[in-house]
Amino acid sequence: MKVKTQMEGDVAIIHVSGKLMGGPESENLRNEIKRLLDDDNKKFVINLKGVPWINSTGLGALMAVYTSVQRSEGTLKLCHVSDRIQSLFMITKLLTIFDTYPTEKEAIASF
Amino acid sequence: MSDPASGAEELVLPSEFEALEQVDEIALKCSRRAGFDDHLSNEVAIAVIEAVTNAVLHGNGQDRGKQVRVVCEWDPDGITVTVHDEGPGFDLTCVHDPTDPKHCMECSGRGIYIMRETMDEVSFTMSKGTGTTVVMRKCRTGSAGCEDEG
Repeated sequence: MKVKTQMEGDVAIIHVSGKLMGGPESENLRNEIKRLLDDDNKKFVINLKGVPWINSTGLGALMAVYTSVQRSEGTLKLCHVSDRIQSLFMITKLLTIFDTYPTEKEAIASF
Repeated sequence: MSDPASGAEELVLPSEFEALEQVDEIALKCSRRAGFDDHLSNEVAIAVIEAVTNAVLHGNGQDRGKQVRVVCEWDPDGITVTVHDEGPGFDLTCVHDPTDPKHCMECSGRGIYIMRETMDEVSFTMSKGTGTTVVMRKCRTGSAGCEDEG
């Protein structure tokens, strides 16, 4: 799994690609969010365009970063969520927790 | 040429997350052979991925020396998937509802819930000597292959 961040004004866009399915690779995302929080960033968009599916361990990684951002009084949004990930959010009733947008542009505009 | 009405495929995998890609492919392929559409095939694949994730993570403790066996059997009424690991099993009574407000923000504990939500039947057999086996069944709509849960 690869994680790459770009800044769009004061919004950190984190591009994730590959499989978010547990193991040490999931740590990349947590570490990147921690680094950005330490730099006092408060607005985050995770772009999941490069992630076709996740498992419950990957879902746990997303929950962990969501909680970290919340605790730091920041806001996290998701964009380009695949149908399969959307199904997983629906099954686990996490659609109400995660704020999702079809595109990066719409996610940024929502802040 | 059409696919046969019944058949089976088997995978024996090392206990590592990289194996999940192969699991996804076989689950989707066999679900389509069972006659499921894309949505239902995805549900089967989601459940099988969760069963194998549990087997790799909790059953075999990511010990690459231990194996996970996956068997997908399809028939005119649906699909049955069996996932076996070498672990001692777990206490099913300790599995909580992850949609309960007390647990909904937790980072783990959703796997079995997802399996039960996406399949019609899920059962576990656990033995310290022989490992843990999960059997999951999903039926085609209108088939007589699954009992009504009432």
